[in-house]
Amino acid sequence: MFKDADLLRLIEGDCSPEEAAAIQAWVAADPRRGELLDQLRAVWRLTGGSTREWDIPESHERSERGRPALELVPPRRRWWTAPWATAIAAAAIAVLVVGSLRVFFPRPVGGPHAYATARGQLSSLTLPDGSRVLLGADTRLRVPRDFGSRTRTLELEGEAYFVVEYDAKRPFIVRTAHGSTQDLGTEFAVRAYRQEPAVEVVVAEGRVALRGLRGADPVLVTLHPRERAVLDSSGGAMVRREVSLAHYLAWTRGALMFDDAPLARVTAQLERWYDLEIETDDPALAHEQITISFMTKSADEAVKALAQVLDVRATRRGRVVRFVSLRSRH
Amino acid sequence: MSEPYRHAFPIPPPGSADPTQHTWESAFRTHSVELCEYVLRFVGSAGIAEDLVHDLFLSLWDSRGRRGGMDLTRSYLYVAARNRALKYLRHRRVAAAWIDRAAREETPTAASPEDLYLRRELADAVARAIAELPARCREVFVLRRQQHLSYHEIAARVGVSLGTVKSQMWRATVKLKGKLAPYLFIL
Repeated sequence: MFKDADLLRLIEGDCSPEEAAAIQAWVAADPRRGELLDQLRAVWRLTGGSTREWDIPESHERSERGRPALELVPPRRRWWTAPWATAIAAAAIAVLVVGSLRVFFPRPVGGPHAYATARGQLSSLTLPDGSRVLLGADTRLRVPRDFGSRTRTLELEGEAYFVVEYDAKRPFIVRTAHGSTQDLGTEFAVRAYRQEPAVEVVVAEGRVALRGLRGADPVLVTLHPRERAVLDSSGGAMVRREVSLAHYLAWTRGALMFDDAPLARVTAQLERWYDLEIETDDPALAHEQITISFMTKSADEAVKALAQVLDVRATRRGRVVRFVSLRSRH
Repeated sequence: MSEPYRHAFPIPPPGSADPTQHTWESAFRTHSVELCEYVLRFVGSAGIAEDLVHDLFLSLWDSRGRRGGMDLTRSYLYVAARNRALKYLRHRRVAAAWIDRAAREETPTAASPEDLYLRRELADAVARAIAELPARCREVFVLRRQQHLSYHEIAARVGVSLGTVKSQMWRATVKLKGKLAPYLFIL
């Protein structure tokens, strides 16, 4: 009776009350239609200001005392619609307001603290200096007892996103197994899982200095926004510029994104985020490079999506997932 | 499509100085449009959304004496609008499953996801995605989303049938959904 295109009518409000109710019943009958509706709404929101022009009745009367007539405020356009609507040169982003992660950050009490997340868990915290940290899955953060006295040093094993206030007198340093970062007034992500041979840093705002293993090592490289560095145990650093922040920071919003990533990396992340053990029977699978995104809270859906991309059959028993190749790869 | 009908807002009798009027007017000016957008997600019909928001402001005007100095804050308005929308749905006996779904709608947070670091990237991605649409698709989409022309107006402007306009609109939306997939979750 209805088709997917009718969802637009619901989004735009382009129907009578009776039609709206009918389409809503149609949507409610199948959760996939609801998901599609949400996605289309997201497209709408991304590509324009208001959904439509609104017509709230106004009073055009003026009293003798000159009370002004009410006028409907024109729809507030989201600023990012401006560039495609009217060619405007991209404005320089205002400098370095520390962003806000809208999560409740509990304040730790003094003394050394170890914070840890389990697989499938994220956590956020506020450090004694007011800096904020979002911990990814399967991550450990150690805050030494003397944090904040002369330096603000932390030890990280796992993945975390930092929002830091610059303080020249007390450098903010994140130590990992392969190197350390020092913030110069920033927001940045550090990734240093034990199973991986390198530490990765992505900068969202400000600048971050990357050093070798011993803290006093000369600075290897300074990163600016939208730059990503990979530093391995030999001390070599590789920097890429103009990376996609949406891509690398997707995890801070509960999504995982991979662009031409080796399968091992994808499965490792899935294991941490969904608390699984993933096995593959085909060694040739390990050479696959995958582009895929996961935005679901459901482990089954994530596994299914990956299996589809790999063209394998997936079976799951509890935490253990096995991929069996459906086709020959040689 | 339902016809909007006009109420008249009450005007205080001459001679009365009304300190709450400023608050009410300011709330109306600032929030009426976003409240309509919000209520539309519940009720699906623009005329109803407008009516409900209008009724809300009328009722807030009527009750201004009783509210005393209580501020018409954004969150207060959203809660009030949401309650009205849900009440409307229940009254109209809309499918229970839809009401459940609507009840789970989150109130938009005060600062939209204008996280600094994503803004420029989003703007680029959206501009590119729209530019990559086939010509006619893009034309229809822009006329609708940017200039808010009616479908009839677009059909006349572009010189095609109403049906073609609607199908081009749908086509554009689906293509954009594909191109903007990595960004959809940000909202």
